[in-house]
Amino acid sequence: MKVRKFLALMAAVLLAAVALVGCGGGGEKASSEDAAKDSDVIKIGVYEPLTGINAAGGEMTLDGIELANKLYPEVLGKKVELVVADNKSEKQEAANAVARLVNEGVDVIIGSYGSSLSMAGGPVAEEAGVPVIGCSPTNPLVTKGNDYYFRVCFIDPFQGTVMANYAVNTLGAKTAAIIQDVQQDYSVGLSKYFEESFKELTGDENAIVAKVNYNTGDKDFSAQLTEVKDKNPDVIFAPGNFTECGILVERARELGIKAPILGGDTWEAKEFLNRVGDLEDIYFSTHFTAEEPVTEVSETFLNEFKKEYPDKQVNAFAALGFDSYLLALDAIERAGSTDHEKIKEELAKTSGFKGATGIITLDENGDATKTAIIKKVEDGKFVYEAKVDPQN
Amino acid sequence: MDGRKNIKIALNIATLLVTAVFLYWGDSVLSPFQKRILNLAAIFVILGASMNLVVGFTGMFSLGHSGFMCVGAYTAAILTMSPESKELIYYMEPIVPWLKNIEWPIIPATIMGGIIAAVFGILVGFPALRLRDDYLAIATLGFAEIIRIIVTNTISITNGALGLKNIPSEKSLLFYWSFCIITIIILKNLINSSWGYAFKAIRDNEIAAEAMGVSVFKHKMLSFTIGAFFAGIAGALMAFLITSIDPTMFRFLFTFQILLIVVLGGMGSLTGSVIAGIIITIAMEWLRFVERPMTILGMDIPGIPGMRMVIFAILLLVVVLFYRQGLMGTKEFNWDWLLDKLGLARNRERGIS
Repeated sequence: MKVRKFLALMAAVLLAAVALVGCGGGGEKASSEDAAKDSDVIKIGVYEPLTGINAAGGEMTLDGIELANKLYPEVLGKKVELVVADNKSEKQEAANAVARLVNEGVDVIIGSYGSSLSMAGGPVAEEAGVPVIGCSPTNPLVTKGNDYYFRVCFIDPFQGTVMANYAVNTLGAKTAAIIQDVQQDYSVGLSKYFEESFKELTGDENAIVAKVNYNTGDKDFSAQLTEVKDKNPDVIFAPGNFTECGILVERARELGIKAPILGGDTWEAKEFLNRVGDLEDIYFSTHFTAEEPVTEVSETFLNEFKKEYPDKQVNAFAALGFDSYLLALDAIERAGSTDHEKIKEELAKTSGFKGATGIITLDENGDATKTAIIKKVEDGKFVYEAKVDPQN
Repeated sequence: MDGRKNIKIALNIATLLVTAVFLYWGDSVLSPFQKRILNLAAIFVILGASMNLVVGFTGMFSLGHSGFMCVGAYTAAILTMSPESKELIYYMEPIVPWLKNIEWPIIPATIMGGIIAAVFGILVGFPALRLRDDYLAIATLGFAEIIRIIVTNTISITNGALGLKNIPSEKSLLFYWSFCIITIIILKNLINSSWGYAFKAIRDNEIAAEAMGVSVFKHKMLSFTIGAFFAGIAGALMAFLITSIDPTMFRFLFTFQILLIVVLGGMGSLTGSVIAGIIITIAMEWLRFVERPMTILGMDIPGIPGMRMVIFAILLLVVVLFYRQGLMGTKEFNWDWLLDKLGLARNRERGIS
């Protein structure tokens, strides 16, 4: 009985401590905020999914941000401090994380991988008047109607259009089939814009011969692929997660579907390559290539990345994280102060900014217009295929 | 006259007043961040308490809570969004005309969210409540996933996977905590009513309860529907707190988060759910510091993401190992206990005084 009582006491003390410190924490934070204002540190907040289902993407992005911070640790003669908050790949946590960063007195926020997480964080930052730079949320709704949200990546409509262009102009396709993941906003968005511009480019209302759906987590795509095979399209557009798409592409080739298969930037992952490495005619659009450095910054990024993370593969998300950080620094420098309004105004004016992923100009929504890269799978590697400028 | 009774009424009123003053004061003093966490705690308390009604008090192992939340959140969101933002957001497929021009105030929309969720509760309850134990768990879990799939696929109503944003936001502590306190008062009175006794009888022994003349199916339906109603309310509140929702938010993992509150607090104790709901939400946020790089005894420790979940898991393990009943078991907080502790004499009058 004594042991039980002791343990009861222990647990009670522990929980009480948690509750007390939890409440007390607020006061401390307020004082650290004041301190930050006076000291020589500029704080940049980062909210990324470091745990949970999107952890892989968040981690890649954070690599890039940390690398950039290491290379360029100062702005306006002050040290830049990164404040990283994990958003657990959950919406309510994303909102909490942004609220916390704001509370800690950050001047700019970077994040987040995953559009739905960004949409949860956006309103919190907007209300607090802290500008946010998104690295890889591609859903148009993230920045729409939010003056404080900007991004360095291109958006779903552009990516869909690029792939339609490539299919029609380079691959000479007349008909296409779409296989989309109805649970992913990303997949649905890309498909929608691919469909629109494909119809426009071919001038044929019936150019999309099939549009079939699947759900995240599906492992068997035989039904969808058989339907597509019957229609015999010139190309197949199948944006989605690399896990499902890896299986899907592999199965398509097994079923004898010869048509080129096109996808989006999510395909640039090792897991995808492991499955489809030896298959042919697989193309996707992405933000960045290691083979064709677009600017001098790309080269710096490439060299430094290899030095810093010798056992990791250079990837687009790290490059986007790198660019977000640089853009934040650039905007602070242009603003000449850490006044949030001024930083926001300067961000909105960004034009011809040279980043690792290309030359970035922000439009009136705060979305980047920039060059997209098309890569293909060849001999177990991703190989640079073409460059598409936003004009066409 | 029972002196204790008057004291207790006075204490109840005093507590409510103090809480009201605190909320009012908190709204103007606390930072937006602290308010957000406290509001989230209120939502989790509602979720925990309503799930406890179904799981802890009626003994039905139902895992459909996130599904009902989803219904409530979407109902409230669609009812309150302005026609302009609907036009902006439904860019894939326009919203169906009969929903387009609806723009309700927040409070009726929240209650409507609860009502629609309750309707779904009835629809699901009819077939599913014929099952027991694990089978019920599987059926309700399936239902929650079905709801999510339906929401994903009815693009002209819910905007599908793209989700909704620009939902009117509400930030005051008073709003969320009022709903929370009202929920607790309703649930407490329900549990101490004849319905509540029937629920507990069913939980303890269904056959015996039936033999005693309790209509098992009717009471199960009641508990399930009321649980769904409050889950819907909580979903609606969540929509107003985060201002953007999408179907992936309501994955079944969310239900386990609520179940955690129920188990940790004690299955069959509202007090437990309230305490656990508040502690878990605040601790989750407070424990963030362990993920930051820090220096302990001259050693630099790099920040490890996910550390707070580990600490949390250990804490949970302790509770589960040594307190199989949860923090409160089936006990409830009441003033008698406090007064006894304070050494106030109890009037042990018997019969007519």
